[in-house]
Amino acid sequence: MAEEGPPPSTQTLDPIAQRKHAAMLERISNHHQSRLHASAARRSASAASPSFDSVAAFLDRFSELRRSIESDLARCRGAAPAAAADICSAPAIKPELEKVSASISDLERLLAENSYFLPSYEVRSSLKAISDLKEALEVANSELLPRKKFSFRNKAPKKESATLVKEIDERKVPDEEKSNLAVVRDTPGFRNEKGAVLVKKFRASEEDEGDFTLANLESCKVYLKGRFRALFVHRLKDCNVFAGPVLGSILIEEASNCVFMLASHQIRIHQATVADFYLRVRSRPIIEDCSGVRFAPYRLFYEGIDEELRVSGLGVETENWANVDDFKWLRAVQSPNWCLIPEDERLGSVNISEVTEQDNDN
Amino acid sequence: MGLLSIIRKIKRKEKEMRILMVGLDNSGKTTIVLKINGEDTSVISPTLGFNIKTIKYQKYSLNVWDVGGQKTIRSYWRNYFEQTDGLVWVVDSSDVRRLDDCRAELHNLLKEERLSGASLLIFANKQDIQGALKPAEIAKVLNLDAMDKTRHWKIVGCSAYTGEGLLEGFDWLVQDIASRIYLLE
Repeated sequence: MAEEGPPPSTQTLDPIAQRKHAAMLERISNHHQSRLHASAARRSASAASPSFDSVAAFLDRFSELRRSIESDLARCRGAAPAAAADICSAPAIKPELEKVSASISDLERLLAENSYFLPSYEVRSSLKAISDLKEALEVANSELLPRKKFSFRNKAPKKESATLVKEIDERKVPDEEKSNLAVVRDTPGFRNEKGAVLVKKFRASEEDEGDFTLANLESCKVYLKGRFRALFVHRLKDCNVFAGPVLGSILIEEASNCVFMLASHQIRIHQATVADFYLRVRSRPIIEDCSGVRFAPYRLFYEGIDEELRVSGLGVETENWANVDDFKWLRAVQSPNWCLIPEDERLGSVNISEVTEQDNDN
Repeated sequence: MGLLSIIRKIKRKEKEMRILMVGLDNSGKTTIVLKINGEDTSVISPTLGFNIKTIKYQKYSLNVWDVGGQKTIRSYWRNYFEQTDGLVWVVDSSDVRRLDDCRAELHNLLKEERLSGASLLIFANKQDIQGALKPAEIAKVLNLDAMDKTRHWKIVGCSAYTGEGLLEGFDWLVQDIASRIYLLE
């Protein structure tokens, strides 16, 4: 406040300054009053809308409303054949859909009003549920109201420009570059085999250097003996994989009906369905987009493996094989996507000393 | 005094820089941060969420935001874009199969307006693994030349495992940011 006149330390204020002072006090008190009004109005508004004293109560109410919207939508779509056959009935559907749209907005408001006390995960998943509902409504709209004028105003142009940009982006990379890459790089690994026994022994000279890939295998038994740096697994079906210590990380994507016995510093498992993992791992294994995966401790044996585990920093059982993080289940309760293998169903220790590279039948 | 100039002034005083580390999962982001900070890198779990580290680097204080790269949580990267001075994109140079994903995610990120002024350092990590692509090859596959010409960027080969290349990369990044933010000194 750049008020002219005497400095504030002056004892006696001249009349002008006094008037200004009084005016200022009045302004402040007015301001205060209006703020009180506003907050009272806010309070009464929030009292009018349902408020919840616990997260669970909110979630119950939320999912109840969500179910009712879903069933409304289903009902509208159930009437679809009639609507398609007789275009004149479309107008009858329209108010129904508008009602659904209004309830979705209500649901959104409910979430917004209560978001301050919800855990952020619940807010996110609720937001996701709402956007799913909106999408479903969009689909229903386009199916049931075919005669509605296309409105490029809203979503359509956005989508189009987005795909356009994407196409341009993709076109920017000439094909020859990609093929170049494939020619230049054929990293060590087993690929595109069916019903084979595949054995690889890493020599001491190569163990600190290389990565290894298992890709597109079906009904194979894979034995990897010795230490190596990194393992990539992609698209395995009905396979058994037994591997010695990996110094770095293991990345598994798309495995179904497989058994893995692995030791590593880090393990990431994506899109696996029905697979058993016998692990020794220094950090916490993670799963993402998996279902029916089970875990148990590493029980592999071949001559020299103890020493290999030790020098790889994997000599000690950390019990981390059971500390699985599911990125699709960020809650305190146990994820439905994975479990431990009951002791009586676990494989005993597996001895692959006898397996040699001569057994390769690929 | 505008908010922006206040922020600038505060930053100048503390010589702070905000660095955002992103990249696909399994690329080595957390390992790089811990290695630079001289911490133990032998037990690192895949990042569920994010880590923040304040690292004294030369005369600057780097606030390094290391954000998890798993697919599920990539959509939350946007929450960390605000006021980013330097962007570090980490690539697993041995994961040839997912380089297409890597390119798509990077170019997606670079469309973000809030990151338009940030210097971009690309770490072609895991160079210690035999068969890893060289930085020049990574640059080609990621199509880095197609980036906006106004972007300050550099690609550096490194190994978070041995530590090689990390300082070279951060030296460049810090210098580049300093020359923009602390221009007047």
